[in-house]
Amino acid sequence: MANRGEIAVRVVRALRELGIASIVTYSDADRGSLAVRLADEAAPIGPSASSESYLRIDRVLEAAERHGAEAIHPGYGFLSENAEFAEACAAAGVVFIGPPADAIRKLGSKTAARKLAIAAGAPVVPGTEHALSAWEEARDAANALGYPVLLKASAGGGGKGMRRVDRESELQAALREAASEAGRAFGNSEVYIEKLVNEPRHIEIQILGDHHGHLIHLGERECSIQRRHQKVIEECPSPFMATHPDLRESMGQAAVRVAQAAGYANAGTVEFLVDRDGKFFFLEVNTRLQVEHPVTELATGLDLVEWQLKIAAGAHLTLRQNEVSWRGSAIECRIYAEDPDHDFIPAPGKIVHLSEPAGPGVRLDSGIFEGWDVPLEYDSLLAKLAAWGPNRETAIGRLDRALSEYVLAGVRNNIAFFREVLADQEFREGRLSTSFLDCFFKRRGKKEDDPEAEAAAAIVIALGSRAAVAVRQENGAWLEVGREDILR
Amino acid sequence: MTRQVTVDGRSGRIEIEGSRLRYEREDGVVIEGEFSLAGSSVLLNGRSYRVVRGAGQEVLVNGRRLSMAVFDPRDLRPGLGAPRNHGRQEITASMPGKVIRVLVSPGDMVEEGQGLVVVEAMKMQNEMKSPKAGRVAEVRARPDATVGAGEILVVVE
Repeated sequence: MANRGEIAVRVVRALRELGIASIVTYSDADRGSLAVRLADEAAPIGPSASSESYLRIDRVLEAAERHGAEAIHPGYGFLSENAEFAEACAAAGVVFIGPPADAIRKLGSKTAARKLAIAAGAPVVPGTEHALSAWEEARDAANALGYPVLLKASAGGGGKGMRRVDRESELQAALREAASEAGRAFGNSEVYIEKLVNEPRHIEIQILGDHHGHLIHLGERECSIQRRHQKVIEECPSPFMATHPDLRESMGQAAVRVAQAAGYANAGTVEFLVDRDGKFFFLEVNTRLQVEHPVTELATGLDLVEWQLKIAAGAHLTLRQNEVSWRGSAIECRIYAEDPDHDFIPAPGKIVHLSEPAGPGVRLDSGIFEGWDVPLEYDSLLAKLAAWGPNRETAIGRLDRALSEYVLAGVRNNIAFFREVLADQEFREGRLSTSFLDCFFKRRGKKEDDPEAEAAAAIVIALGSRAAVAVRQENGAWLEVGREDILR
Repeated sequence: MTRQVTVDGRSGRIEIEGSRLRYEREDGVVIEGEFSLAGSSVLLNGRSYRVVRGAGQEVLVNGRRLSMAVFDPRDLRPGLGAPRNHGRQEITASMPGKVIRVLVSPGDMVEEGQGLVVVEAMKMQNEMKSPKAGRVAEVRARPDATVGAGEILVVVE
């Protein structure tokens, strides 16, 4: 497992279920991580900076050799969409759990993927079909398309290196920032430009194929609720499908065509923007497992990571398209270490208290534990909380109930914020678009005044030392008093 | 026992006698009643609250975050107040992170809104901008240095 955080935990779990030993790579900052604790073996691959550890092909492969790894799961981010890494794995005699290097290369560059999608007959958003080489070129392209436009990293994903530009005066700075961010995140600072589709839904299709030419789709996920172009809530099915019942099949078929044109195998995702009329535009292909894969798993009953492992081992995908069915509704919230009240600024720190939710219909994919220091070197995703229900309303109710049980203190996070979003009328009615959160902030109510809650909190703080004694009686009260004095 | 309380910037006081509580805020709102306390669980007038302390003054009450300080009024000493920096403005890091680029040098003249320092945390870059036009008096940020939230990066006067 050449990754970290909750996805490393997810893959370690899948491996253990299949009776396969797991080896997790880790950087200095992740020595104490949950994935390392849960894995059978763990291999250090360098200092905390990802450029010196998780992005180092040589160190990952050294670790694989040292531990006798037969295959490498790259997770998402880091080396997961790096064709050179996939090739280096093959050269080292280790199976890369993902698509063929050639398919990554064809789809990995967003500009190349656009050309491929056009050839495969999938509709695309108007834009440049190559990376921008100079500012003048960007200016001319933006003027030709008309503002607003979107700058995107050719090697991108997760909103890194992406900027919305509303007027020419903002273009130069945005271009510089996007290129610099892209360079740092992906080691490739190429940026291209697209026309911005207004208030679209972000709907993506999960695909799954084997190395013997069989490839199917597992339906859609709607991921319209985003901040900084990064998804925060995802669901399957998309509420839009209720009024557009044929869309799943037409998008699914378009996704399969694009994937087949690239010679794709293993799990992948074809992303689309969908406008109000149900017209869809190809966006890009993520040639890896997605963060939000659990909602597809909950709705289809399939285990995507298990299929990834089996397919990588050469197995046939024994599932025909007409055998895939969707049951009920699944919704996921991404729990981030960030402050939703202050522009979602990342908030690394120590987790001083953690109580995790459970109960009917709840799934938690988490990479944290109480006492852990959330490192500032990496993405701020802590965990994913998902709920399944026989219908969307039940799923929302379960998710909200689970959020109410989720107590995470010490690092700012978006748990309470999600409860506000889930209570929002527009959300409940499924009226989603990628501008949902911007609009939500405009209509968001003031923080509710609850003086009794304040009083309850004040009791605990004022009597805190006494409460601490009550729960730690094995130490004796006098010891606690002494300790309090030392700590003062 | 009587304690001074500030919640999200508003002050009040609580009085606790045995299992009785009285909480009075400066805006006149009063909460009175019986309570019991067991670890992080508070029952107040029959309602259940789960109270967990976070970092610094952060307190979570049933998942809702409050910034709360409770102190003994006898500990209060008359403060001197912070000296005012007339016309000097300190630009601080809005999040913990790593300094990626320093865009200005001491003595530079800057415009309002001009970028001064780029800080990155969790793969997100943030440009700290000058809140006013003026001259860069001091540059404390160093490239590749790790900074905490609130740490002074640049002083503009």
